[in-house]
Amino acid sequence: MTTIQRVWRLKNTLLNLLASRCSVCGHVTYPPKMRCPVCGSRELREESLPREGEVLSYTIIRVPAKGFEDFTPLIIALIKLGDAKVLAEVVDVKPEEVSVGMRVVATVRRTAQTIDGGVPYVIKFKPLRS
Amino acid sequence: MRRVYVAGVGMVNVGKHVDKSLRDLAGQAALKAMEEAGNEVPEALVVGNMLSSLVEQENLASLIGDHIGLRGACGLKVEGACGSGGLALMTGYSLVASGLFNKVLVVGVEKLFERPSADVIRGLAYAADADYELIYGVTFSGLNALLMRYYMSKYGVRYEELAYWSVLMHKNGSRNPYAQLRNEITLDDVMKSPVIADPIRLYDSCPLSDGAAAVFLVSEDIKKLTDTPVTVAGVSNSIDSTDLSSRLELDYLLASSTSARNSLKMAKVDLREVGVAEIHDAYTITAALSIESIGFAERGKAPKAWSEGRFSPGDKPSINLSGGLKSRGHPVGATGVYQVAEVVMQLRGDFPGISVPAEVGLTQNIGGAGSNVTTVVLRR
Ligand SMILES: [Zn+2]
Repeated sequence: MTTIQRVWRLKNTLLNLLASRCSVCGHVTYPPKMRCPVCGSRELREESLPREGEVLSYTIIRVPAKGFEDFTPLIIALIKLGDAKVLAEVVDVKPEEVSVGMRVVATVRRTAQTIDGGVPYVIKFKPLRS
Repeated sequence: MRRVYVAGVGMVNVGKHVDKSLRDLAGQAALKAMEEAGNEVPEALVVGNMLSSLVEQENLASLIGDHIGLRGACGLKVEGACGSGGLALMTGYSLVASGLFNKVLVVGVEKLFERPSADVIRGLAYAADADYELIYGVTFSGLNALLMRYYMSKYGVRYEELAYWSVLMHKNGSRNPYAQLRNEITLDDVMKSPVIADPIRLYDSCPLSDGAAAVFLVSEDIKKLTDTPVTVAGVSNSIDSTDLSSRLELDYLLASSTSARNSLKMAKVDLREVGVAEIHDAYTITAALSIESIGFAERGKAPKAWSEGRFSPGDKPSINLSGGLKSRGHPVGATGVYQVAEVVMQLRGDFPGISVPAEVGLTQNIGGAGSNVTTVVLRR
C-alpha cells in the first residue's frame, strides 16, 4: 500500500531502470546506492540498465499481501539486466510457462492503487518473443 | 570488556494467544527469568520486537517495564526485523560488558494474532525494501521463494530434499513443551500442503506465532546468582542489503557468514566445538543457507547432509532440538531470545524437550531475507 508521492520520487529508477555504476571498481548496483557496496567509493554515476534480460529466478505468489488481491497469482522474478539484477513482476505469461533463463523485456504497466487513490505505472517485464 | 553470564531464562509457550496481550506475554517471560535469577531486579530492560505497530503500540520498554514493576530502570527497544531478538541480546550484552550495568533483562516479544492475516503478511514484508520490492506486491515468502528456486537450480537440489527438513523439525519439536506445532509430519504432508509462493508450500514455512522469551544477563561480579553459569562467550551482528536485487550472492548469506565467523573468533571457539545450535529456519531454504553460511556444511550440500542424519539429536552439532522456527514457531522479534534461552537450557542440562550434553552452543537469528544476522556463542 504505497503512496503516490513515493512512486513520483522513484520515477527515474522505476521507469528508466537507473542503476549506479562505480567509477573506481566498475560495480553496477540496482537499486542505486550512495556509496559503492563493493569498494566504498562515492564516485558513482547513473546508468540506465538494458531493457532486455534473463530470468534468474522466479516465484508465483498465491497468498497475496494486502492490496494485491487483484494481481494474484502474482509472478515475481529476479531478472539479470546487463551487469545488474532487478526484482520485478512478470506479465503476459501463464504462471506455468515462466522458466529460469527465459528472455524478457521491460514494459510499462499499472500496479496496485496507492492508499491515496493514485493509479501508478511501473516497469514490469514480459516475455521477449522472437 | 567484562564477562557476561546468564543468570536466568524464561519462555512462554509459542502459539496463538488470543487471551494474552503483548504486555502479558512479555511480562510472563520476564518474571520467569527474574525468578530464575533469584528474584534480582534488573537495572535495565532491553526489548526486541518488530511489529508491535500491528497492535498499535510502541514505547515497549516503558509499557513492559512498568507492567513488571521496573519504574526508574533504563528501558529501550531494539529492532532488526525477524532478527530483533538477537540484536536485543547483543545490546543487553554490551550494556553489561561495558560496565554500565550489572543486571540487564533482555525480553523478546511478538503479538501477531490480532489483525487479519493479510495485514500480518504485509507487515512482515516491511523487512524487505519498500521502495523497490514491496511496490510490486512481493511477500516475505515470495522473496525466500526466489532464493529457493535459485539455490535448487544452481545446485541441482530437489524440492523433496529441502522439504525433509520440515519433517525433521516437527520430530524435534514434538518433544518441546514450548513448541507451537507439536505434531509429527511426513514428507507427503509437506508435498501436499498448499503452495504459498511457488516453490514454497505451507509446510516449508514457519507458522505465524505469538510469544515472548527473556534472558537475564549479569556481570561477573554477581555470577554467583546461578550455580551452573553459562557465559555469553561471543556475539556479533552483520548486515547485508535489504533488497535481493543488489545482493552480491543469491545462494549464500554473507551477513550470516561474517556474523558467525566474528562471534566464534570473539569466543575463541572453533566451529567444530559447537555441540548444539539453534538456527533461523524460517523456510526450508533458510535452513540450508544458514547451515552453509555458518560453515556446518559446504555450499549446496546441507540438504544432502541432513538427509544422511547430520545435525540430528546427538550429532555434533545437534541443530534445532527445539524444533526450530518451523515447529517451535517464529514469534518474530522474540525468536532470537527463544534461541538463546533454549541453548542456555541445553548447556545447563535442563531443556525440557530433546536434550544433549554440550559445553558450547551457538544461535543464529536472521532479520529480513538475510539482511541482519546475529550470532551468539554460549559456553558453560
Ligand atoms: Zn566500487
